Amino acid sequence: MAKHVPTANGTEMTGATALVKSLEAAGVEVMFGLPGGAILPAYDPIFDSTIRHILVRHEQGAGHAATGYAQVTGRAGVCIATSGPGATNLVTPLMDAAMDSVPLVAITGQVPSAAIGTDAFQEADIRGITMPFTKHSYLITDPDEIPRAFAEAFHIATSGRPGPVLVDVAKDALQKMTKFNWPTSINLAGYQPQRTPNAQSIADAAALIAQSSKPVFYVGGGVIKADASGELRKLVELLGAPVVTTLMARGAFPDSHPLHMGMPGMHGTVAAVTALQKADLLITLGARFDDRVTGKLSTFAVNAKILHADIDPAEIGKNRHADVAVVGDVKETISALIPALKAALAKNQPDLSAWLRQMNSLKSTYPLGYDTPADGSLSPQHVIQRIGQISGTDTIFTSGVGQHQMWASQFISYEKPRTWLNSGGAGTMGYGVPAAMGAKVGAPETTVWAIDGDGCFQMTNQELVTCALNNIPIKVAIINNESLGMVRQWQTLFYDGRYSNTSLESKRVPNFPMLAESMGCVGLSCERPEDLDKTIEKAMSINDQPVVVDFRVHRDAMVWPMVAAGTSNDEIMIARATAPDWDSQEL
Amino acid sequence: MTTASRRQHTLEVLVENSPGVLARVAGLFSRRAFNIDSLNVGPTENPAISKMMIVVGVEGHSLEQVIAQLDKLINVISIKEIAAEGKKSAQDTQPDYQN
Repeated sequence: MAKHVPTANGTEMTGATALVKSLEAAGVEVMFGLPGGAILPAYDPIFDSTIRHILVRHEQGAGHAATGYAQVTGRAGVCIATSGPGATNLVTPLMDAAMDSVPLVAITGQVPSAAIGTDAFQEADIRGITMPFTKHSYLITDPDEIPRAFAEAFHIATSGRPGPVLVDVAKDALQKMTKFNWPTSINLAGYQPQRTPNAQSIADAAALIAQSSKPVFYVGGGVIKADASGELRKLVELLGAPVVTTLMARGAFPDSHPLHMGMPGMHGTVAAVTALQKADLLITLGARFDDRVTGKLSTFAVNAKILHADIDPAEIGKNRHADVAVVGDVKETISALIPALKAALAKNQPDLSAWLRQMNSLKSTYPLGYDTPADGSLSPQHVIQRIGQISGTDTIFTSGVGQHQMWASQFISYEKPRTWLNSGGAGTMGYGVPAAMGAKVGAPETTVWAIDGDGCFQMTNQELVTCALNNIPIKVAIINNESLGMVRQWQTLFYDGRYSNTSLESKRVPNFPMLAESMGCVGLSCERPEDLDKTIEKAMSINDQPVVVDFRVHRDAMVWPMVAAGTSNDEIMIARATAPDWDSQEL
Repeated sequence: MTTASRRQHTLEVLVENSPGVLARVAGLFSRRAFNIDSLNVGPTENPAISKMMIVVGVEGHSLEQVIAQLDKLINVISIKEIAAEGKKSAQDTQPDYQN
């Protein structure tokens, strides 16, 4: 943002060229997009730009790819589309990015300014459509406004709580001449996010922690966004309290660490869910008390005080009252909290040993597990676990949404931040393949696996063509249970097994390996446990082409533990109609 | 309509005089299920800035949450509460529901 004055400053050019020069000035290296009439003037200077433009097969793919790129690199992802249907195809990725706080700049062409409001060909009020889930948006009709709008867009997308920003540019603004003027500073009167936490709130936080005998670190995706994993580990080890990492925070704290109790929430571990429920203090870092974590809110962690640190002041008290609120960048917050807590603990060192003993007992009594199918078919959990073990902890994983997503969160061990990408808040089926494409572009030397469902895969697999033709060799594991598995699980549990429209009816239609081959990928399949490791190893050995593996798995596997929607976390089930044996626990 | 559980607050909101700002504010109230009892928009001595007077009916949500969400809009410059009627948040601030 506005770090240097581009050489183009003061030069006469079209608005379209100004757009491309603005992206270059903002440091953009890659964008994902698909042209059309209204945005076409911009595609002419894109042809000459140093920015790599990756031509997708559907704009939704561009949006999720930009998200995957952003989640891996920490930089803004950029996607570009034309007006009307091109723009509306970005709606889902924008909503997805808003829910998961992903820095994204989406560029759309708009019909010429004189035609706006006339129901012109391919006219859609994309700024209006996306207003609920963009952090900010622009409609540009004057080419002179282009550089400032983009400078502001990148600043807003990447600062504070990150989020998507839309820049809609009328075609005539792209065609008209302008004098390029990249702003040297950005001053938005209504946008000054607070990065540095208030000193008093840090002191209050440290005092609250030092008084607590059953604290737990409730870690959310904000810790990854702020690149605060190193600081988090220091703070956790200073206090020695248990940690839970939400679906968006997997990898923020190493799974192998003895203080890690796992993921909380609807499909969380017994230890993680109970840690939150029984705590006397939640040290909440970059998390937002989402309903998938809290369960029935009025019964959530009823005896806990809440320390809530977040960069977004609107998250404080949104769902749960905070006893101490710390507004600021979570990396700065944790850095300030470490010395403050050291000082507080020097005066009063609480004894956490009984609390830790209880949590470790739950962790060892109720580890994550699964049954091997009696008929000798492949267990989906085992497939995912072996992919994780064989490909190692440097690997980046993406997923779609559903059972395979939960298993990928549960049965892959995440040791590093930015290695687990999924659609947490939005729950976007079809996120996996395009997000993996963007992730691989952002980290070309790293193995990227998309763990996908057969339902999800059929929504966005067309981007494998993009991958094949642009040297983006991702690996895709289709966890093929011929079902919309998570919905089927709910039907099993809550609708008497009436499987209304959740059967995809066949493990053979489509023929996924043939479909993969037709898109320029290597297609493999596996349906016997004895072939599992060698199939994964074969996929790992192919690095010059995308690989798709069709794992034909048992249909009736379910995700456990489970807290049913709308019920209390206290009602966690470890298997169907099976609660943990609370009587044997000293809680 | 004012009931015992519902309180009215008046907010004076300075906003950038830019296209779409009214839609942003109205849309925010609508999608977050905040109640607008009345809304007036007028000019200020600075032509780049407009003033909105919003009467908010608070029910379920806290006034702090309404203000915090409004403040997230980039075009909103400042928010001042006129004639406060203090209210403390409950332990959890959302009703239970099944989703």
